[in-house]
Amino acid sequence: MSKGHTPSTETRRPDRAALVIAVFLAALGGLIFWDASRLASMGGYSGIGPATIPFVIAGGLLILAVWTVFEALRGDFPARDRQQFGPVVWIVGGLAAQMLLLKILGFSIATGLLFAATAAAFGKRKLWMTIPIGIALCLAVWLVFAGLLQLSLPAGPLEHLFW
Amino acid sequence: MKQFFLASILAGALALPAFAADYTIIAPANPGGGWDQTARSIQSVMQQEGISGNVQVQNVPGAGGTIGLAQFASQSKGNPNALIVGGYVMVGAILTNNSPVTLNDVTPIARLTGEYEAIVVPADSPLKTFGDLVEALKKDPGAVSWGGGSAGGTDHIAVGLIAKAAGVDPTKINYIAFSGGGEALAAILGSQVTAGISGYGEFESQVKSGTLRLLAVSSAERIPGIDAPTIKESGLDVVVQNWRMVAAAPGLTDEQKAAVSTDIEKLVKSAGWQETLKTKGWQDTYLAGDAFKEQLTKDISATEAVLKDIGLVK
Amino acid sequence: MNTFDFLLQGLLVAAQPMNLLYALIGVTLGTAVGVLPGIGPALTVALLLPVTYKLDPGGSLIMFAGIYYGGMYGGSTTSILLNTPGESSSIVTALEGNKMARAGRGGPALATAAIGSFVAGLIATVALAFIAPFVVKLALVFGPREYFALMVLAFVTVSSAFGDSTLRGLTSLFIGFALAIIGIDQLTGQTRMSFGVPDLLDGIEVTTLAVAMFAIGESLYIAAQGDLGPDKVEAVKGSVWMNRQDWARSWKAWLRGTAIGFPIGAMPAGGAEIGTFLSYATEKRLTKHPEEFGNGAIEGVAGPEAANNASAAGTLVPLLTLGLPTTATAAIMLAGFQQYGLQPGPLLFATNPQLVWGLIASLLIANFMLLVLNLPLVGLWVKLLTIPKPWLYAGILLFATLGTIGANPSVFELGMLLAFGVLGYVMRIFGYPIAPVVVGLILGPLAEQQLRRALSISQGDVTVLFTSPVAAVLLVIAAAALIIPLILRARGRGEVLAQLAASED
Repeated sequence: MSKGHTPSTETRRPDRAALVIAVFLAALGGLIFWDASRLASMGGYSGIGPATIPFVIAGGLLILAVWTVFEALRGDFPARDRQQFGPVVWIVGGLAAQMLLLKILGFSIATGLLFAATAAAFGKRKLWMTIPIGIALCLAVWLVFAGLLQLSLPAGPLEHLFW
Repeated sequence: MKQFFLASILAGALALPAFAADYTIIAPANPGGGWDQTARSIQSVMQQEGISGNVQVQNVPGAGGTIGLAQFASQSKGNPNALIVGGYVMVGAILTNNSPVTLNDVTPIARLTGEYEAIVVPADSPLKTFGDLVEALKKDPGAVSWGGGSAGGTDHIAVGLIAKAAGVDPTKINYIAFSGGGEALAAILGSQVTAGISGYGEFESQVKSGTLRLLAVSSAERIPGIDAPTIKESGLDVVVQNWRMVAAAPGLTDEQKAAVSTDIEKLVKSAGWQETLKTKGWQDTYLAGDAFKEQLTKDISATEAVLKDIGLVK
Repeated sequence: MNTFDFLLQGLLVAAQPMNLLYALIGVTLGTAVGVLPGIGPALTVALLLPVTYKLDPGGSLIMFAGIYYGGMYGGSTTSILLNTPGESSSIVTALEGNKMARAGRGGPALATAAIGSFVAGLIATVALAFIAPFVVKLALVFGPREYFALMVLAFVTVSSAFGDSTLRGLTSLFIGFALAIIGIDQLTGQTRMSFGVPDLLDGIEVTTLAVAMFAIGESLYIAAQGDLGPDKVEAVKGSVWMNRQDWARSWKAWLRGTAIGFPIGAMPAGGAEIGTFLSYATEKRLTKHPEEFGNGAIEGVAGPEAANNASAAGTLVPLLTLGLPTTATAAIMLAGFQQYGLQPGPLLFATNPQLVWGLIASLLIANFMLLVLNLPLVGLWVKLLTIPKPWLYAGILLFATLGTIGANPSVFELGMLLAFGVLGYVMRIFGYPIAPVVVGLILGPLAEQQLRRALSISQGDVTVLFTSPVAAVLLVIAAAALIIPLILRARGRGEVLAQLAASED
């Protein structure tokens, strides 16, 4: 899927998304540089302090940013498959919901929602069916791993009914 | 419900312990070091004496325990089953790291043990006595590399004090910080560093088997059963004790605090714990409640003075 | 009694029917927990250790050994089938193993991993029994400068996981380095790249990054292909079992992986993942089928899996001979030993031979049970791939987050999981390889610390990095590994490219 010599790259148009990546790399390098320059120089006998290696890495990132710009201008990036963003939103939304609801509603409900959202991303949109399935499955998982194996998974109202 | 059914069978087959007062102890250091050994000793004694059915130890290593402390303070808030092992090293590390999380952010329960520092060299080292080591240090402080625990910890403080007492600029010592006892010990055994410094317990079995030579211990008097002079005997007035404690999570109610304190007291009074202290060579310096709190405050201010004195804290 | 008698006696005890049953239960539980992404052998053993407390010492030791090996093997199953490595040492397995699984060759991939683990475990455990005292001397020769040289070698070999673009491979590696800076600097206690956020003080958890980038990134990427997305996965094409050619290509890789993994595991600061990287690079250089690497080469599964298991046995060398627990798993084993009254240390082989040999015999038996349990299950595991995508990926995300929550139930950690998952997805879109990010996060800090320690010991004299014989040899190998392919490529570019173009159609 990432063969460098597909026909579309023959046109050698500058790749805008790749330019954005270059900016990101440069910004990351700059951030590390800024953070490292406030560190005290405590090299001691080694001559290498806590800031030395971050400077090297920041430098490396800046060089890579420039290199990326060159490849972007030459259109050397591989052709990309078209992305559908609906499914991505479903999954990211599911993960975010799980993250925010985990402590309040407990493992089973929060993760059951994630389960249903992921299934929806892959085309199973019948939430009235997938959410209960997800919650039941997660509850079973919770009972085995938190109940029996004592993994610390947050318990909510549903878990308290069973344990 | 098939899974539930399966789970019940599993439970029956394995006869798992009941779920009462299950503690999770954070050992804020790499496996093998002093805090790790303390945490694991608490674990085995608590289970053996039936104080807790199930105790788990989790290693969160790094930076003199402040990484573990920070994680503990932020993630265990209000959890009465969470404990952390800590000690004098942490006091120093909090100061040198300028750590945003301090011992005020957790609930210190009790001081458990104390251990003295031991200074060792590999068996084939040309340095035969502590005097030899001090001479070498005076001649060229940079050429004497010391392997020990994290920067600003007890080991580091002790080396600084030794240098100062020997008339060597303490900022000139060549101290190599390792993140846990295991890694430092390997470096000493492999003669990667000139000398090693750490709690006696971490070197004991190596000293007994003859692979390390014990040059001195940092106690005020000779310790019974340990064949080594004190640092004091060689004319340097240095006494360092590395104590270890156990603390509970922040944000506990008074009842929860009392429950943890009771469990710890049961632990310390148990025969299993006394046996562990003996085999590990730890001194029992149990101190709890307000007396401990007071002592802790004193130690913190004293340590700050020492660290400033030797240039570790500005 | 001599060494052999002790071992024989241990084996007789371990082979009693009841003990075999305990071994089977241990292996089953270990595998069941170990397959969860984000739960590596250390956590598996920690979780299940209390289960063993109820048994007599012999049974408990053997169940413990079973859990240990089961946990080790469980990780590779999900790596191969679902491209979601649960811990750092099975990342390399995912590279080729998952490609094989997608081509309908999941069965042979799982089989070569299981048999390779068995062979490596067998050889390494026997080696542990007979040559531990010698290996440990070698391991102690490794000081900071030798470790630094080893890291340099590892960095060079990582380039074999770069894929087809040096720029994108290096960029991935440097993103890993950048993430590695985050947290408190071990040597001076300074906080770096933490911006006052306490959750960042302990840096980025490797398992969080690995699970996010692989499991979540992968799920997002597959989902975003929609119905146009590639292929329905063919669960089985050809035989579920390894054919003659698979065997012929696997056995040398197993042996080489064992030879690489065992000594590296025995080093106090080695780490299983470094052995797997080196083994993968070795196989890639030696293979007669270079075109298959990156598309599902069986050697690329066989070698690293063997290296992984051999290095697990290797960690027992410093543990039993010096009392040095060098990995989290070893530390938990130490706790396990202590309940049997076993204090690991230099005198252990002399003072407690029965228990030591009992443990070694248990490991051998557990290793065998692992094979007994897992080979028949290969067919069943492969069926996982026939689960319809919505349920399969929903399940993957369920277990991926379960592992992270179980290890560290914090909102912040889940937030990082989400953020890195999206990062992994974006990197996939643009054809950036994922493995180098994780590798950079693991090796970056090790290399930095060892370099600084080495230079501190030498008082800033850089030449020491090259003057130790071991370090010099490692650096020469690294240089050769870097330069020779460049020369070969420059010389043979035309031919090879022509050949590739020819074979593509």
